[in-house]
Amino acid sequence: MLEWVPRGLGQGRVTTRYPREAETPPNGYNGPVTVLDPDRGEPGLERICPTGAIRVDERGRIGLDRGRCIHCGECVRAMPARFAFEERYETAARARGGLIVGGVDHTDPQPLRQALAEQARALGRSIHIRHIDTGSDGAEEWEIQALWNPYYDVQRLGFFLTSAPRHADLLLVTGGVTAPMRAPLERTWDVMPEPKALVAVGTDACSGGLAAETGCVAGGVDVVLAVDVYVPGSPPAPIALLHGLLLAVGLLREELVA
Amino acid sequence: MSTAGDRIELPDYLPEHLGGVGEPAPRDEVRLRVTPLAFGRAAKMLHGAGARLVTLLRAELPEPAIVGAFAMRGDLVVLRAPTGQADVPTYAALGTWWPAARWPEQELADREGVRPAGLVELPRFTRPDADVLDHAVSGLDVFSIPYGPVRSGVFEAIQFLIETGGEDVPRISTRPLFKHRGLEQRFRGMAPEQAVHVAERIAGISSVAHALAFSQAVERALGVVPPPRAECWRAVHAELERMANHLDVIAKQAEATALSVGMARFQILKEQVMRLRARLTGSRFGRGVIVPGGVRFEGRVQPGELLGALDAFERDLVRDRRLFLKTASMTDRLIGSGRLPRALVEDYGGVGPLARGSGLSIDARHERPYGDYRRLGLQIVTRRETDAMARVLVRFGELGESLRILRQSIDRLRRRGGELAAPLPSGGGGCAFGWVEAAQGELVVWVELRDGLVGGVHVASPSLRNWALFDHAFPNDVLTDFAFIEHSFGLTPAGADR
Repeated sequence: MLEWVPRGLGQGRVTTRYPREAETPPNGYNGPVTVLDPDRGEPGLERICPTGAIRVDERGRIGLDRGRCIHCGECVRAMPARFAFEERYETAARARGGLIVGGVDHTDPQPLRQALAEQARALGRSIHIRHIDTGSDGAEEWEIQALWNPYYDVQRLGFFLTSAPRHADLLLVTGGVTAPMRAPLERTWDVMPEPKALVAVGTDACSGGLAAETGCVAGGVDVVLAVDVYVPGSPPAPIALLHGLLLAVGLLREELVA
Repeated sequence: MSTAGDRIELPDYLPEHLGGVGEPAPRDEVRLRVTPLAFGRAAKMLHGAGARLVTLLRAELPEPAIVGAFAMRGDLVVLRAPTGQADVPTYAALGTWWPAARWPEQELADREGVRPAGLVELPRFTRPDADVLDHAVSGLDVFSIPYGPVRSGVFEAIQFLIETGGEDVPRISTRPLFKHRGLEQRFRGMAPEQAVHVAERIAGISSVAHALAFSQAVERALGVVPPPRAECWRAVHAELERMANHLDVIAKQAEATALSVGMARFQILKEQVMRLRARLTGSRFGRGVIVPGGVRFEGRVQPGELLGALDAFERDLVRDRRLFLKTASMTDRLIGSGRLPRALVEDYGGVGPLARGSGLSIDARHERPYGDYRRLGLQIVTRRETDAMARVLVRFGELGESLRILRQSIDRLRRRGGELAAPLPSGGGGCAFGWVEAAQGELVVWVELRDGLVGGVHVASPSLRNWALFDHAFPNDVLTDFAFIEHSFGLTPAGADR
């Protein structure tokens, strides 16, 4: 039993310094898809995307909805001059429109990393998180669990998991909402005290993803409840999630000050 | 493949009076045509001859039929009962005498409109309701705990109705399918190369296994053979996924005992595997690399560097495993907990580390080897103790075996050049089963193709099959053993619910 002590100490520090310092993914990482050349989209371009994330408007400008994108890379492989994976983690946005790139620029101005780090401190370093799965593929759960492993260790920023929704400040929802999970979702949200924020984790929670058209899933979580922060990704990597959590903390703080 | 006029030779291990007509089939599949009336009887004879039920489904190709798949002596025996024009096809239910058939038959009835005669009704199985509590145990001090579908901690949605007097657990009723997303229907009309994205999202933590099982079914239906270099990479991605899953189970066992350093150590090892996969494929879950016909791209780490990473990983793993196994506070909770006698596992058709922990040497990589596993010489890890500890030890053993397979595959990659994918014939049609050994157990997928597009798909998930055993996993255990026993199963609701 005692032997675990040197074993733990022997590792040294592996924990990321994010958000104080930037964290970059490995080369070739399939991060958010970006539109390199949004003009003159040819008709029929939409069809290469299995989830309908790509739209061409009447003026021929290409828009890509990251809330629908499942990072499958069909567009990147078919048209490498038009679409590319960005090698970065952060994808979260506070409005659904903020996930749409190319076409018209809806991107909402986001606080910088430093500002996010300040916000994390401002709430007394005590944010309690409750998670509910409403129909994910299971990968999102692994990435949320990873936030508490030594590499990400979000307790250093004051994030704690709680089993009781009545003690929670943040609700993380994974997956498009299946019929049997709708009532449990609504009930969990109802009993959470104000101020509270809801984070949609993963593309499935943002839009339903590939399951959107099967008739078994309502669509994104925002069909049922108002979403405060969207973290798209299939699944979002732990740093992408952490970025989303910090954005949500900013919202909580605004509410407390107001 | 023989022409229609030939008589198909049937393997001699089949019961003598089975009475089916042999049909042409891809390698390792034995297809037999029977009438719906004879289906139940034939299944019973297969059961008597030691077959294991894999799944039941309603097929459209080559003609509308009820299909039963059974694993037997290194083959997948497929009983096909054509239903003709019947609106509500029927046959004599298997669930009355074969527990493994109960859940599949209820799904057939509710989703596919097949009504087996004598169906063991499981009300609400496919339409779970978190608030409906059915009590089976009566007594002054017995109360029911509906645990889930909103779990404590970060877990997927599933519900366990626990009836307990506080300590011992007279009854547990497992209720999956809260997150049924209808993904099998989502495949319809997609080209196989795109449909593989759906397969990857059936169970996120087994993305590679699902992509591989689907791809192999497509390849077998179309008669395509992936090039040797693709098979090497497939084995690499599949074994890395198995390692991540096994490490996840072990870390969760340590978490359940509040062995914090042990938990952190195994989380570190798992994260190292996830990061290696991100470097290899661009995705922490190995998504986007497997495609019907082969793989889409080369792994993005040089073989030499990959071997170096594995050596460093193994040094840490060996030390952490030694500490884990000699920490009495850990092992005391696992030894003797959640016993699953071998006969029970056989009745329910259990697979994977769970079956191997109960002394059954079931492994799709060995029973019906596919890809490079035909050459890799797999050592199956089994234990006879049948408890949670046995299932953890099986996983520790398989971590070592995965490392061995990885080294062998990387060595092959250095010598084996060539193409990464074979083209699929355009406009092809056919139907076949494909299978892999996922980290949770044997995963079998039925795929139908028409004019080059995917039609019907059926996924026989190891998670769903093994979860049927959870109701019986508390023979001498108390409520506080719940977490240990659940983690020792190592299953995923997403895979079970589809």
